[in-house]
Amino acid sequence: MSSSPRKRSTSAVRAIALLVIVVAAFCAVFFYAGWWDAMFPVKAVTSQAHQVSELYTVIMAVATVVFLLVEGLIIWSILRYRRRPEDTELPPQIHGSNVLEVIWTVIPTAVVFVLFVMSLNTLNTVDAVSKTPDVQIRAVAGQFQWQFDYLTPDGKTKLFTESTPLAANGGGLVVPAGLNVQLSLTSPDVIHSFYVPRFLFKRDVNPGMVNRFEFTIDPTEAGQTYRGQCAELCGIGHWTMQFDVVVKLPSDFAAYVKERTAAALVTPAPRPSGSVALELKAKDIQYDKKDLSVAAGQAFAIHFTNSDPAGLAHDVDIRQSDGTTVLQDKPTTDGGKDVTYDYTALKAGTYTFICSVHPQNMSGTLTVK
Amino acid sequence: MATTTIAPATASTYRGGLYEWLTTTDHKKIGIMYIISSFIFFLIGGLLALGVRTELAQPGLQFVSNEGIYNQLFTMHATVMIFLFVIPMLAGFGNYVVPLMIGAPDMAFPRINALSLWLLPLGGILLLSSFLLGGGAQAGWTSYPPLSEDRPLGSTGYGQDLWIVSLILIGTSSILGSINFLVTIFKMRAPGMTLFRMPILVWTVLVTSVLVLMATPVITSALMMLFIDRNYGGHFFDPATGGSAVLYQNIFWFYSHPAVYVMILPAMGMISEILPVFSRKPLFGYKAFIFATAAIGALGFSVWAHHMFTTGAVFLPFFSLMTFLIAVPTGVKFFNWISTMWRGQLTFSTPMIFALGFLTMFLIGGINGAFSASVPVDFALHDTYWVVAHLHYVLFGGSVMGVFAGLYYWFPKMFGRMLDETLGKVQFIIMFIGLNLTFFPMHMVGLAGMPRRIADYANSGWTDLNLLATIGSFTIAVSMLPFIWNVFVSLRSGKIAGDNPWEANTLEWATSSPPPPYNFDHLPEIRSERPLFDLRHGKTGH
Amino acid sequence: MTADSHALTTTGHGPAAGADHGPATAGHESRGGISNPILGMLLFITSEVMFFAGLFGAYFSTRAAHSPWPPDKFAGTLNPLGLILIATIILVISSVTCQLAVNAIRRGDRKAFMRNITVTFILGIVFLIMQMYDYSVLFGEGLTMDAGPFGTTYFTLTGFHGAHVFGGVIMLGVVLYRGTAGQFSARHHDAVEAASLYWHFVDVVWIILFSVLYLLP
Repeated sequence: MSSSPRKRSTSAVRAIALLVIVVAAFCAVFFYAGWWDAMFPVKAVTSQAHQVSELYTVIMAVATVVFLLVEGLIIWSILRYRRRPEDTELPPQIHGSNVLEVIWTVIPTAVVFVLFVMSLNTLNTVDAVSKTPDVQIRAVAGQFQWQFDYLTPDGKTKLFTESTPLAANGGGLVVPAGLNVQLSLTSPDVIHSFYVPRFLFKRDVNPGMVNRFEFTIDPTEAGQTYRGQCAELCGIGHWTMQFDVVVKLPSDFAAYVKERTAAALVTPAPRPSGSVALELKAKDIQYDKKDLSVAAGQAFAIHFTNSDPAGLAHDVDIRQSDGTTVLQDKPTTDGGKDVTYDYTALKAGTYTFICSVHPQNMSGTLTVK
Repeated sequence: MATTTIAPATASTYRGGLYEWLTTTDHKKIGIMYIISSFIFFLIGGLLALGVRTELAQPGLQFVSNEGIYNQLFTMHATVMIFLFVIPMLAGFGNYVVPLMIGAPDMAFPRINALSLWLLPLGGILLLSSFLLGGGAQAGWTSYPPLSEDRPLGSTGYGQDLWIVSLILIGTSSILGSINFLVTIFKMRAPGMTLFRMPILVWTVLVTSVLVLMATPVITSALMMLFIDRNYGGHFFDPATGGSAVLYQNIFWFYSHPAVYVMILPAMGMISEILPVFSRKPLFGYKAFIFATAAIGALGFSVWAHHMFTTGAVFLPFFSLMTFLIAVPTGVKFFNWISTMWRGQLTFSTPMIFALGFLTMFLIGGINGAFSASVPVDFALHDTYWVVAHLHYVLFGGSVMGVFAGLYYWFPKMFGRMLDETLGKVQFIIMFIGLNLTFFPMHMVGLAGMPRRIADYANSGWTDLNLLATIGSFTIAVSMLPFIWNVFVSLRSGKIAGDNPWEANTLEWATSSPPPPYNFDHLPEIRSERPLFDLRHGKTGH
Repeated sequence: MTADSHALTTTGHGPAAGADHGPATAGHESRGGISNPILGMLLFITSEVMFFAGLFGAYFSTRAAHSPWPPDKFAGTLNPLGLILIATIILVISSVTCQLAVNAIRRGDRKAFMRNITVTFILGIVFLIMQMYDYSVLFGEGLTMDAGPFGTTYFTLTGFHGAHVFGGVIMLGVVLYRGTAGQFSARHHDAVEAASLYWHFVDVVWIILFSVLYLLP
């Protein structure tokens, strides 16, 4: 202790002042820029998500206190205990204190234990799966498209399949607000993950096993649409694997299911005789043909057989020869199914036929002459 | 071999030509070559990261032509940074410093030590050569099957096989290195250097070596099985042929979580050497620190499944509790570090600045990790950019800060000359700003729902934050320039260091800078964990 | 190295706890007790144990997921009373002869050492040949690496074990060669001890493998 008490106190005042200014400036910027709000999850829309959100807030509060305490101690040490010219003698050589070690072992243990118990309580409701959910839907995640099978309440029979994942294209995962929906997850190929940010939830879609979880969307959310996407790297189309959750009133949802179930039972009308369809097959995410040719100015059809496993969807779209400008868009066909796509007449020239789900693997040249 | 190009620059301090460097078994030269090799891979990994960040700066695919290349970029970035930079860099410091710190003439097995070193560039070149052979691995550094299997839309090229082989080589290097460290530490300590007088860095290397020894062979087994699946018709991990995808994850993380501590414990050790020296005090709670290190090592083996909370296939409460508990010994370390500075006399040379940078940044990396320990919150955060923020605050804010603290601290010992202080502080400031600019916004974009490993995004709310992160990443890149300049200038004309420029207390400062072959002409008495302090101050300091 | 016995005992840090231990003036050679190469080998074996632990973990996990195990197609293919029993006995005997060699060199009996190490070396090679022959028989019965998880796990486990036996045979070969060149004595035979430890480890792994693959119902 080389310096006089007076010098110490003035430098301490200066240190505190500097510390207060730095912290205040930082906080001002942080709050002014709206960053504090951005440090919380997006608005929760399910009863489960509300609980996760509340838990997050609790942990955030603890984290903030710990951060300010420890960071404050570090900055305080830097400002207060810097070496001064008059410090020629050594500071007190303190080797440790068992009392302090016990204190800062026991208190953090208690804190994390409380957080653990709170997490466990929340987990038990968030992760709970009931025997009789109101609605049962199966999400099938194949590279690189989501499909949603709507099941009977007992979960045993499939009513219909929604193979268009985005609302903008007239599809999406349609669910009722206020009802308890159970989602089962399956994959025919690699691991995917079902993730809707607004649910504050994700669950992996593992091939070879079925995961289930439940959610109940707030009754006030009817009419809303949320974007979800695959959250586990699944290959070269990973980021395109998006879907929409479309929330309807329970009555509208019932009508939707009824309408789609009825439509699924209707057998497609037979094709007019005399119209010739080209044959095209898909297996192992490859078309069996690289070149097709049709006559100019004449409508044509492609009989398309998808020989990949169920869940792996393909389609045959017609694009400009640049491979990106879409001319004729067709719905996807699930693995194990076949379909006949009808196309309108094209002018003479070269076009690309392509699978919109696997554009990098599946494309070929369509010659029109 | 890339690692040898620097040899002429150091020839002025180390007599002897290229050949001698290539064939040396001297732990000091091997340590320096470890560090140079790791730094080169750090730059390569950094360039790959810049590719990732450039692509993500704006929505749309501008920089890479397709998502496959993007997937290669981040896969190789992580692989290079983890296996060819952080782990070998810290092993390099261990190699250089540990024998000096315990008063040994060399490592226990000098020739095996050389083998460990040379396996690294071999593995690295194999790994990077995949870019010339049809593309690198693109299933992520975790390479989860079935995506990493040889299947349509999976990983059909040689890239994944080269990735497996190079990781096995690097793993073998780590295992041999850990055996070497353990035997050296247990058997080669100077008289008087009891276990509880060893510097903390040696202790962290000891615990790290145990982790490597126990965990690395396990990932080797997983990689072997993946290789068998891919090339010999095996049925381990692909459910389509009767395997289990989650099995791989369990084996992989049994290694890869302890590997996280392999990547941070030695950095903690270096901080624990630097803080006391620049506070002019002993480390507060020396034994508590050792127990905390051992506790982290032990707990490290029981938390692997916290990477798998969302798989729906692990027992959540146990792994959640263990993960929360890891916070306790980490907290103990923080309080000990702060108490070391408390009532000390702090001077702010560059090593100390980086050490303080470590404290402030690693604190964030520790706290934001606790969020994911809570399973329900992890359901929201897992595989989003929040996790990317967390791991970079730990690995960049922690390990990289620690590495630079160590480089500035031991450079005078390695080469006999000081690094320039001004350039060092310039580097720190740019790096500190860049790191926060890059990684802090990732918390927010993750909370906003952006998953990791996506090549493109269409959500307008994510654009500004991504641009900010990209600007930050280039700032980090810029911060490397003053450092590289600093090294080249200081090697030739830096201030002569002398034996002990920092008034440090551990044995490596008792010998000349650079030390002679076999390190010591004579050793001082070792009566505590600070033998040089005892030498300078006799008993008065206590 | 007289100072080592107490230098190895751990004491508290700081002079209050440990200052009474006077620093010794001896040189830098290894401390007493176990020698560096043998400690190194023990640590290496530890890592090998973890490697096989990974494989066994995968095996039991795969086995638990498939019923029946073995699949009906291969119900009687792995017969514990066949050729493999003889191979097992040979490997166990080789472990005994290996230990006899170590004991011999410990008391300086180079002749007995050379005789036993030669026998061990040959038995190791015989084991490998028998395993290869057994593989060819199994291939003939349709059990191959790609014959489902059963074949994959069987050949992976036994294959990696075989590779380790091969490594052990090479170690024994080096010991044999150095022995022929007149090396090793009662005082200096770390390489023999280390090779023997490794050989015992390989033997133990095989006994576990045999029990799990052939005997476990």
